[in-house]
This record gives sequence, structure tokens and C-alpha cells, in this order.
Amino acid sequence: MSGARLREIALGVAGTIAFLAVWEIAARTGPASALFPPPTRAVAEALAKLPPATIADHVVVSLGRIAAGFAAGAALGIAIAIAAGWYRTFGNLVRPVIEFLRPIPPLAWIPMAIVWFGLGEASKVFVIFLGAFFPVLTNAYRGITGVDPTLVRAAQTMDVSGLALLWRVMLPAALPDIAVGLRVGWGLSFGVLVAAELIAADRGMGFMIMNARQTAEVGVIIFGILLIGLATLATDWVLGFAIRRSVGRWHPV
Amino acid sequence: MRWVERPWFQGAACVVVLLALWEGASALGWLKPFQFPPPSRIAAASWEMVVAGFPTGTRIGQHALVTLQRIFTGFALATVVAIPLGLLIGRVPALDQLTLPIVTFARSVATLSLLPLALLWFGLGETSKVMLIAYACFWVMLTNAIAAAKYVDPVLIRAARTMDARGPALFFRVILPAATPRLLAGARVAIGIGFMVIVGAEMIATVAGLGALIMEARTFYRTDVSIVGMIALGVLGFAFTAGLGWLERVLLPWHRGLAEVRR
Repeated sequence: MSGARLREIALGVAGTIAFLAVWEIAARTGPASALFPPPTRAVAEALAKLPPATIADHVVVSLGRIAAGFAAGAALGIAIAIAAGWYRTFGNLVRPVIEFLRPIPPLAWIPMAIVWFGLGEASKVFVIFLGAFFPVLTNAYRGITGVDPTLVRAAQTMDVSGLALLWRVMLPAALPDIAVGLRVGWGLSFGVLVAAELIAADRGMGFMIMNARQTAEVGVIIFGILLIGLATLATDWVLGFAIRRSVGRWHPV
Repeated sequence: MRWVERPWFQGAACVVVLLALWEGASALGWLKPFQFPPPSRIAAASWEMVVAGFPTGTRIGQHALVTLQRIFTGFALATVVAIPLGLLIGRVPALDQLTLPIVTFARSVATLSLLPLALLWFGLGETSKVMLIAYACFWVMLTNAIAAAKYVDPVLIRAARTMDARGPALFFRVILPAATPRLLAGARVAIGIGFMVIVGAEMIATVAGLGALIMEARTFYRTDVSIVGMIALGVLGFAFTAGLGWLERVLLPWHRGLAEVRR
């Protein structure tokens, strides 16, 4: 490992420790320590209030909802993008509808999600689905329509056409953009999680912190915020790693 | 090209057919008007929102104004701090490395997960909503300002130095103009995120604002009003991001498009 890289890591660690130390000291010496607990006490308080099994349950439930909504959103987004990019007429037909619906914030669908799907899992998954669907769709569509025509023509001279052209040429060429869409969509799925879990939830990380608000358990809230942030960061890192390992072989991502 | 093949005709035809099907299906009783208020009901509700308002007396313009005020106050607060701080961090490599993990983590924290904390810290009033928007915008603006200052073409700086520019002159005449495209692009992303976050922030403890309107309307079984609110949010969000894009082109004619923006 090079000296510059070592220095970078050392500075990063130092910065993080300094930040936590300032927080710790400010919270311990500050007046409003019930509302602004130091990080150590926040975590200790949360662990004292919630058994590890409960915390694990909240995390698993939330990740399950995100996985379900994201998978549905990504699959449908990619499918529609490919169809719209491949069949010109289909693209002309759906584009205005998509362009009209796209700027509507995912959370603004919550009332309709409740009316359509009730208060159960489906409405929460639907909101997360919307968070993933639009970024994946728009990026995948840009990828498909932005494929270098030279590639397509080269393939055509070698008598590749139809689905083989789509599968062997168009899709690999569009994958870098699709990968970007997947990452943005994944981030947005986490972004809407808490609001989705405001819909009559009794489990999940969003429920955990909103419930702690009722009893003003600031420690649990801060712990939950850090937990959601860490879950976002860790899963995004895994997704990024997978993308670099696959798409990164032929395209810098 | 025959007019049937024109993209705009096909798109418009698709929209008209879908609306007609929707209207017809609800006239025939196939779609429940509560679950899928037909276009005619939505049109009537839009008019109602313009002249009478929902809850009675609060017109759509007032809701929109409250929402926009929250978004732009939060955005302004975030920008005032984030731009100078970000430019400073971007110009000092050690500072950049020191703050990188914190910035990365803070950006990963979903803004709405701060909702319960904001409610406890700042109460149920305007402050908690503005602070949430400010948080969301701050990290977007900060990362873009850092990147903007960091990736100023060194040739520009060296060229300015050979002409003896340094200190404030170097900053205001070279670094700031070179950083502006990225700052504007960041502002566009930040406003877009502001529109997303405000809906969540307005879900709790308020009856004013478009986010509150759509939630309130549902509890009164007025899904047609909810949909009017959704459309208003979509149109406003689109208008402001498109407007900022236009501003970018007008203010920076020398800079056409910035494909690679750190979001």
C-alpha cells in the first residue's frame, strides 16, 4: 500500500474519531443532554431498551421490504426501458405517460398506495417499488437508446439480428447505464423506507425510530438513524462491488 | 413521415386512449371512483382546489406556496453554508481526506430517518420541516462544491498564477467561475431531492402544504383531491428542475452540459 493511500486512510480515521469526540464532549457538557445524548450513551441506551433479536428482526423486515420493492421496480424498469428502446412505437406510446409520472415524488403516492393496497405489506413495498422503478427505468432507457450505432452495425454485418442483437450487443453496451440506475434506485429505496414504514407498520427500522419518538427515546432514534445509514452504506458497497466485478470488466464504473 | 407515425401523435393518442378507457371503466362501474377517481372527477377537483380549496378555504396556490417556502428556506440555509465550506474542503486536500468518511456517511443517512429526531429537537412547527430539507440539500451541495473546487482544471490555475493572480483574485476570477457549472448542477439535484423529502416531512403535524394536502384528502375519502396534489407536486418539481437547467444554459453559455456530476 502506497504512502499516499495510507495517509488518506489515517486522515479519514482521524477525522471520524475527531467528529465522534466533539459530539461526545459537546453532548456531555451541553445543557440539553436528554435530547442530545453522546454517541456512546445513545448506543448503550438503545441496546438496553431493545434486545438484539428485536433489532435484528427490524433490520431483516426492512431489508426484506426493500429487496422486494427494489427487485420489482428494477425488473419492471429494465423491461419497460428495453421494450421502449427496442420497439420504437412502444417507446413513443409510453414516453409521455412515464415523463408525466416521473416527477411525482414516490412518497406522494402513499395515500393512493393505501387506497389501492390497504395497510399491509403491499403498500409499503409499492412505495419502495416506485423509489427504484423510475431511476432504473430512465437510466436503462438512456443506456439502450445511447448504444453506439457502430456496435450495432458491426454486429449486423456479422448477421446478428433480432433477439441475439439485443441480448449480445445492446444489453452489454447498456449495462453501465443500467448499473448506475440500479445504484440510484437502491439508494432511493432506502430514502423512502422510513416514510413507507409510517403506514401502519409494527416492525421495521422506520417503525423502530418513529415508535421511539412517541416515548422520546432519543438514544433509540439516533441508534436507528446510524443503523439505517450503515445498512445503506454497506449494501451500496456490496452492490458497487458486484457491479465493478461484472460490468467493470469492459467499462470503467 | 405520415402523421400516424409521428412520435408526438402516438404519445398523445396513447394518453387520450388511456384517459378515455379510465373514464369509461369507472362510468361502467369497473373501477371504483374512490380507488381510481376518473379524469372528469380529477378535473372537477382541480377546479375546486383553485376556487374553493381543501380543506375549505386553503386553495392549491396557498398549499404550493407553503411547500415552496419550506423547500427554498431549507435549500437557502444549506447552500449558504455548504458552498463556502465545500469550496474550502475541495481546495485543501488534507481537509478533504479528513472529512471524507463523515461526508460519505452523512450522505448515506436517509434524510427522512431524521424525521423523528427533527420533531423532538425542533418541535412540530416549520423549523423541523425546514431543517430536514436543509439536511438533504446540504450534503448534496457540499459534495458538489467539494468536487467543483477539487476538479478545477489545474491548467487554468497555473495560467492565472503565471499572470500573478493569487489570493482573492485567483479565487473569484478563476476558481469560482470554473466551479459554477457543478454548483448549479448540484443545486438542481438538491431542489429535486427537496421536493422528495418535503412530502415525507409534511406527512406529520401540519395541514398546510401539498404533502399535507394529499394525506389529509385521503382521510376524508377525497382521493381525487389527493391526485390533484400529486400532479401539482410533479408539475412544480419538474418546473423547478427544468428552470434550473435553463438557467444553467443561460448563465453558462460556454459550458454545454455536464455529464459527470457527483450526486
